Amino acid sequence: MATRVETPAPRTASFGRFGRGFLVAAGLLVIWGLGAWIYQLTQGLIVTGMRDVVSWGLYIFTFAFLVGLSAGGLIMASAAEAFGVRSLRPLARLGVLTAAACVLVAAMTIIPDLGKAQRVWELFVYPNWSSPLVWDIIIILVYFVFAVVDLTVMSKRGIARSERAKWIRILAYVGLPTAVLLHSITAWIFGLQISRPWWNTALMAPLFVTSAVLSGTALVALAALAAQRFDRFKVSDETWRGLAVLMATTIAIDLFLVACDYITILWGNVPRERAALDQVLPGGSWQAVFWLEWVVGGIVPFVLFVVPSLRRRGWVFGLASALVLVGVYAFRIELVVGGMIRPLLHLPPGIALGSYRPGQSSFETVGVYHPTWVEYAIVTGVLVFLSLLIVLGYRWLRIGTRDEETA
Amino acid sequence: MVIDQNRCIGCWTCAVGCKEMNNEPFGFWWNRVLTAAPGETTGESNSALADPASDNIDVPHGTYPNVEMAYLPVACQHCDDAPCVKVCPVGATFKQDDGTVLVDYERCIGCRYCMAACPYGIRVFNWGEPKQPVDFTVGYGKDYRVDGRLVFTPDRPRGVVEKCTLCVELIEEGTDPFCVQVCPVGARVFGDLADPNSEVAQLVDEAGATQLLPDLGTDPRIFYLPVDRERNV
Repeated sequence: MATRVETPAPRTASFGRFGRGFLVAAGLLVIWGLGAWIYQLTQGLIVTGMRDVVSWGLYIFTFAFLVGLSAGGLIMASAAEAFGVRSLRPLARLGVLTAAACVLVAAMTIIPDLGKAQRVWELFVYPNWSSPLVWDIIIILVYFVFAVVDLTVMSKRGIARSERAKWIRILAYVGLPTAVLLHSITAWIFGLQISRPWWNTALMAPLFVTSAVLSGTALVALAALAAQRFDRFKVSDETWRGLAVLMATTIAIDLFLVACDYITILWGNVPRERAALDQVLPGGSWQAVFWLEWVVGGIVPFVLFVVPSLRRRGWVFGLASALVLVGVYAFRIELVVGGMIRPLLHLPPGIALGSYRPGQSSFETVGVYHPTWVEYAIVTGVLVFLSLLIVLGYRWLRIGTRDEETA
Repeated sequence: MVIDQNRCIGCWTCAVGCKEMNNEPFGFWWNRVLTAAPGETTGESNSALADPASDNIDVPHGTYPNVEMAYLPVACQHCDDAPCVKVCPVGATFKQDDGTVLVDYERCIGCRYCMAACPYGIRVFNWGEPKQPVDFTVGYGKDYRVDGRLVFTPDRPRGVVEKCTLCVELIEEGTDPFCVQVCPVGARVFGDLADPNSEVAQLVDEAGATQLLPDLGTDPRIFYLPVDRERNV
C-alpha cells in the first residue's frame, strides 16, 4: 500500500509572490479576452479581419494549434507505458494534465468563431454525420473524457500500486489510437476538401499527427521547465534527453512531410496548386510563415536539440521548445491561409466580400487578412486561460510533490 | 439552368437583378459576372485557375492582336453532390428533391465550413449588421419557408451564411428565377433537367453544354454553353 505522508502545505501559501502576480495578470488578460468576445457578440464578426475570401482566421489557427498541443502529453504518457519508455514516465501526469486542458480550451476556441454562438447546441441535436466537423466534436469530447479518466486513475489516492499500474497500462493502449484519431479527424476537416487544392492531400493527417506530437511535447517540456524553476518538480537528465530526441525526430519528420508536399506541387506545376504554394514560399505575400516554420521553428530548434552541449542548458531547452511552438503555429497559419487566399475561380472581379468599404471594391481576387485587436485579445485570453488551467491543475493535483509515487 | 456564353454580353443585369430581388445588402453578390477566356468552363484547360489577364473586369485575355474574352456568370451551381451539404455540421444547408440547394437561416450556426468547402466561392456571410442602399425592402420582400425552414428572409440575421436560392419562391409559383427573367439577351434558360423534352435537357444533351470545374465531381445543375462550342459539336 502506498501510504505516503503528504506535507499538507496550505494552498494559499503554495503560490509565492511571483505566483500570485501571475494569477492576477492572467486573470486580467482572461477578463480582457472575455470583454473582447462580448464586444464581438454585440457587433458581429465584422470586427474581425475575416471576410468572404479568407473566411477562417486566428480562431481556427488557434483551434487547430491547441488540438495539436493536446497530443504530446497523452501520447507521451501512453507511449511511456505501452512501449515501456521509462525516461518519459515521470512526465506522465503533467502530460495528461496539459492534454486535458488543451483539448478543453481548443473546443472553447471554436465558440468565438461562430456567427451564431447561441446555436452551438444544434451540433448535438441536428448532427450531420457526413461533416468532419461533427466527427471532430465527438472525438474531442471522447478525448477530453479519456484524459480526465486517465488523470483520475493516475492521481487518485488509495489505489494499490499494482492496481494503478495495471489500469494505467490498459488506458495507454486506448489512449494512443484515440490521440491519433483526434489529430487525423482534425486534419480531415481540411484535408477532405476538394475545393482547396492546398488542403486536399492525403498527407494532411500524418502531418497533423506529427506536428501534434512535436508541439505537445514542446508544451510539456516548457511546463516541466517552469515547474522545475518555480516548484520542487524534478526531471532527470535522462528524461530531458528523451524529450530532445523525440522533438528533434518529429521536427525532421514534420519538415520532411511538408517538403514532400512542396515538391509534389512544384514538380507537377498545376496552376491551381502552384497558386497557393506561391503565396507562402519566399517571395509570396505570406512568406513570413515559411521562414517561421522552416528556420525559426524548424532548423534552429532542431540544432539546439541535437547538439548535446546546447540542449543541456535549461534556457536553451526552453527557448528551443518555445521556437517549436512558433514553428507549429506558423504551419497552422500556412495551412489555413494558404488554402483560402486564392479562390479556385480566380477571375475578375473576384469574390464578393460581404461587407461594405466606402470607396473600395467589394470584391477580392486574392484574399487579404489582417487580424484585428478583437481577435488578438480573444486568442490571448484563450491561451492565458490555458496556462491558468495547467498551473491550477498542477497545484490541485499536487503534481510537483507526488510524482515519485506513480513513477 | 443553362447559361449561353455566346449570348452573354457581360452587362451584369442578372447580378443586379438578383441583388434587388433578394434585397442583398452592400457588399453582397449572390450572382457575379466574371470576365474569363473562351473555353475556361470546359475543364479542358486549367486557364480558369491561372492568373487572370487583369484584376479588372472586361479586360480580354491574350496579347494583341490575339485577344479573346468571354463572360462567365457565376452564382450557386446547385451541385448534385454538393460539398457544402456534406460539410454543414447541423444540416442547415440542404438539397431539395428538385435539386435546389438551400440554407436554413434559422439553423445555421455560422461556422462557415460551407464557405471553405464551396469550390465556386459563391457564399456570402453576414459579418455585421446589413447595410442597405435604401431604407425600405426591395424585391420579394417576405420570408419564405419550405417544410417550415426559413430559406429566405429580406431582413438578414447577423452571423449566418447565405447564397443564391434559385429564387425558390418564384419557381414554386411556376415562374423563372429572376436572373432568367431580367437577362436582356436571353442567355439564361431555366427548366427541368430531369425532363428529356425540356429545352434545358436538350441543350445539355445536344449542344455540348459543360459544367464549371467538372473535374471536381460536384455535378452542378447549372450548365454553360461555351463560346467555342461549335468545335465540340
